[in-house]
Amino acid sequence: MEIKKNEIAYGEPVGVVTAQSIGERSTQMVLRTFHSAGITSEVVSAGLPRLIEILDARKKPKHPTMTITFDRKMASDYESVKEVKTKIEEVKVSSLLGGFEENLKAGTMVLDMDKEAMTMHSITVRKVMEIISHRFPDVELSNEGSSISVRCRKRKEIKAVRTIFVNIRAEMISGVEGIEKAVVNADGDLFYISTSGSNLKGVLEVGGVTQENIYTNDMFEILNAFGVEAARAAILNEMMQVFAIEDTKMNVKHAMLIADAMTYAGTIRSIGRHGLAGDKESVFARAAYEETIKHFVNAAFFSETDRLRGVAENIIIGRQITVGTGRVKLMIKNKDLEKIKAED
Amino acid sequence: MYAESIDSIRFSVVSPEMIKKISVAKLAIPDTYNEDGYPIDGGLIDQRLGVIDPGLRCKTCGGRAKSCMGHFGHLELIRPTIHPEFARLVFMIMQSTCDNCYRVLVSEKNIDILKSAEDEQIASMAKLKSVKKCPHCGAKQKKLKFERPTFFYMDGERLKSDSIKDWMSKISNDDLAVIGIDGDVVRPEWAILGVLLVPPVNVRPSITLENGDRSEDDLTHKLVEVMRINQRLEQDIDAGAPQIIIDDLWELLQYHVTTYFNNETPGVPVARHRSTRPLKTLSHRLKGKEGRLRYNLSGKRVNFTARTVICGDPNLSINEVGVAQTIAERLTTPMHVTLWNIEKAKELIDRREYPMATNVINSDGVRKRVTESNRIELVASIAPGWIVERQLVNNDVALFNRQPTLHKMSIMAHRIRVLPGRVMRMSVNAATPYNADFDGDEMNLHIPQSIEAIAEARYIMKPTDVILTPRDGSPVMYIDEEGIVGAYFLTSSNTYFDKEETCSMLAYAGVSEMPEPDKDGRYSGKSIFSVLLPKGLDYEEKGGAVIIKDGKLVEGFIRKQTIGSGKGLLLKKIYMDYGGEAVADFIYKLTRVTYMVVYAKGFSIGVKDYLTNQNIQRESKKIIEDTQDKAREILESYKKRSMEILPGYSSKETYEMLVHAATGNARGTGVKYIEKTFSTDNMAFLIPTLGARGGIQNLVQMLMFLGQQSVRGNRITRGYSGRVIPYFKKNDRSPEAKGFIASSFMDGLEPREFYMHAMGARDSTMGKALVTAVSGYLMRRLIHALQDIYVESDLSVRNAAGDIIQPIYGSDGIDTIYETL
Repeated sequence: MEIKKNEIAYGEPVGVVTAQSIGERSTQMVLRTFHSAGITSEVVSAGLPRLIEILDARKKPKHPTMTITFDRKMASDYESVKEVKTKIEEVKVSSLLGGFEENLKAGTMVLDMDKEAMTMHSITVRKVMEIISHRFPDVELSNEGSSISVRCRKRKEIKAVRTIFVNIRAEMISGVEGIEKAVVNADGDLFYISTSGSNLKGVLEVGGVTQENIYTNDMFEILNAFGVEAARAAILNEMMQVFAIEDTKMNVKHAMLIADAMTYAGTIRSIGRHGLAGDKESVFARAAYEETIKHFVNAAFFSETDRLRGVAENIIIGRQITVGTGRVKLMIKNKDLEKIKAED
Repeated sequence: MYAESIDSIRFSVVSPEMIKKISVAKLAIPDTYNEDGYPIDGGLIDQRLGVIDPGLRCKTCGGRAKSCMGHFGHLELIRPTIHPEFARLVFMIMQSTCDNCYRVLVSEKNIDILKSAEDEQIASMAKLKSVKKCPHCGAKQKKLKFERPTFFYMDGERLKSDSIKDWMSKISNDDLAVIGIDGDVVRPEWAILGVLLVPPVNVRPSITLENGDRSEDDLTHKLVEVMRINQRLEQDIDAGAPQIIIDDLWELLQYHVTTYFNNETPGVPVARHRSTRPLKTLSHRLKGKEGRLRYNLSGKRVNFTARTVICGDPNLSINEVGVAQTIAERLTTPMHVTLWNIEKAKELIDRREYPMATNVINSDGVRKRVTESNRIELVASIAPGWIVERQLVNNDVALFNRQPTLHKMSIMAHRIRVLPGRVMRMSVNAATPYNADFDGDEMNLHIPQSIEAIAEARYIMKPTDVILTPRDGSPVMYIDEEGIVGAYFLTSSNTYFDKEETCSMLAYAGVSEMPEPDKDGRYSGKSIFSVLLPKGLDYEEKGGAVIIKDGKLVEGFIRKQTIGSGKGLLLKKIYMDYGGEAVADFIYKLTRVTYMVVYAKGFSIGVKDYLTNQNIQRESKKIIEDTQDKAREILESYKKRSMEILPGYSSKETYEMLVHAATGNARGTGVKYIEKTFSTDNMAFLIPTLGARGGIQNLVQMLMFLGQQSVRGNRITRGYSGRVIPYFKKNDRSPEAKGFIASSFMDGLEPREFYMHAMGARDSTMGKALVTAVSGYLMRRLIHALQDIYVESDLSVRNAAGDIIQPIYGSDGIDTIYETL
């Protein structure tokens, strides 16, 4: 009985309610990412920019991050967590350099390896040389102590030489591509890893990491790796995260509706002209939103029919909208009508 | 009313035959008026296209300026011209069909497959581009190129419009169906224009300037140019001019037709008026915020409205709105005449002063103004089924709105109270959901004009019906500021009032019942508060901080959590158990009692409350020094490279973030100190503590120090190289040099501090201005994407097309207003 009383009303325009709830709050959000509430080692992009990023279904978030947790046993062991961290963190030749000198005319470059950095990532000079010679067969390598000399086998144009040298310095030595940085954090006595940069598939291949304990804020990675249901959950979670950081109370149902609306077609569609609003069946609704001419021209050429079932198109032709109280009609039983007529 | 009978609307391209059928006149003279100022026959203002001048009659329908709705004309283009907007689509068809046999580039076998599958349209076309050999005639396909706006090339050679038109007309309907075009409705050759439809004159009215000159509409100007070139082209062709000249004119004709449709076509120079102003042509009329779609079709204008300055009135309930007499006299509400109210209706028609009838609508729907001369006649002829429009009186219902209309609580239905003055008045408590204040804000009033609309307003749009926001289930109307202070004084222990005070308080609140005296014939504040509560209310706050049993406050004092913004737990409880009217009643009574309490007890703050003492100063100094030490420490670890770098940031950024966090925390430390040492005897401290207004950090800024200022989320670094202002040494990284202000408002700021403070203030002002634009657009997008989504009777959530978005709303079907977060 109590539940029935609190049930949502028939015809309730929940879409608009959600849009208003979120839109009205967004007026009070700040434009920039701010970190006033103390400093955490996790990078979070927050506020209006992040919310827009989620709703726009941007292919890559501005600050992709992953969180990797472990089961109790492993998480309490700092060393093994750190081991995973070293395995996933992207190490490039450049990050191991103490300095370098290049002579583009002669086609030579001397890489001065930083010993400290090398030991930190447990990488040897030999390994670096192996990788470089494997990827760049055009160069000759030799080493003296901790420095590596690179020499191009054939004479080339300066521009070409430079490209090779830049590529050598950007070459990845170890780790997972895209994981620019990883840090071990502690939550009580449990350790976990947070990263900047995201590569779900790559990180999953690393030993010690399991599907259940991995998270990324890149919803397209989740979509590709785990499917739409997971992507829906990710959108939901990311939106609620934005509100939590802003200290804004928001009923999950609004985020749920948006997540569902974005994903019910089986893939992620954005709010806006290239997504939900641009895919509507009604020509008028699309034309009233954006790209008016384009929609009319296409509709005319392909002789599209507007069935006038939505809100925007009914406003345009001037009749009651199809949601809320506009959905219901007042009816009177013929019998009662006869009775009233008789009374008159 | 026609709208009700529309089932669907199909779009298509107008055929040349249809144009000729629609047209009432073939136009051939590229001019408007002759020397006598009379419209030229066959010119663009041809009187068969309708008239705009008063007194003249339309030569087609005989109607006058107001009654003639205008008629289309047409002009024949001497050479076919491509409709610029369709050019892209024509090219797609060219790519999809054979340049030799004009069949679609799909084999017979695949045609059948495609036909059975629907909605392939453009997707299939994209693939046809790469077909090299026609599957029907085997001809090798030539290379096609399209250059915006209207140039086509085949193997590098220019294709003229007539050959494209020829190509299009040779494609069979069956083949078009494969591409997704219904050849029975739209033929692609129609996209290449042979005749041009000329809109009626009242679509492009000319305006008469003060000096009697006529100024034509941009569309007319454009059409004159099209016709002029068309005429010249015709003459040149007839005179047998060289091909080159004809081609040039043809191209010029194409240019004018292109800009006639869309003067912003990419790759086409903008057509300009004599005054160099770009011409507004057809696409401009539809496009954008001021275009036909958004400005006129989606945004409807209405009658029966009023707008004035608003003003707060503590004597009104949140369900009321005070309306000026002048407004009540002008606006009307319909009264449907029945057997039961016909006498009342006659009386209203017969009246000559304020609450009177202004118009009557008879059973045929004809509206008549009630005048001195027809009054008696109307009273005599009125019958059930008529509608009498009468002036507004108390208790009529009106929709009240403030822009920006960000949520549904920005339009609510209030009961009208006709009051003296010129402003519209409202309860102070009802201002919150509108985000209104009374420093000159204006609001709109709408009077519903149908029984359904009035019922909807009365039963589901009152402030008390929507007091709980669906966002998080909390009340949007509550008691704040002096109300909170008053409620605290009223309900904190040891508050007693004598009989006289109690009586006047309760009388002011409109309560006629007295509580039992507590001791010595005096009444405790808690008992007075209890009288205001609905009978039999049971309420308990978490941890038993506030306990109400059987409508009696037995424990605790009333705080912001109980009746204020954010939570408003007690208000929600009353709404759930007693309904919206009870909440309105409670808010009304409590507001008035609390005002009386504050009035009786007295409440003031002064400079005295903001005086510092040695202890505070000592503590401030300590906090500032600690902050400086901390900043120095971080700087050293940054210089020694021993700092743990945050992921995703460079060491420099990490350093800045850490220092900013450290200096930013100083204020928090100050807040803790104030909270620890101040007592609620200090009124300046009491206000933020109760949650009535402001925060402790405002006190810290007044008594201790201002703290870190920031610009764009960082410490202040802008200005000269290496320093903000020349007061500092270059590359000074200390907190003070980067916007940390150690003075308090009571001390006053040093000039350098004042400068920093102004920078921070400017940044936050600009931030606010910018965020409104961004979030406004976000809201528009959200609304457009989600506006068709509603709850079906089986609790599933669907869109206009009937797609199921959620099987059950929010997975449990419960309305969010009933949930508490």
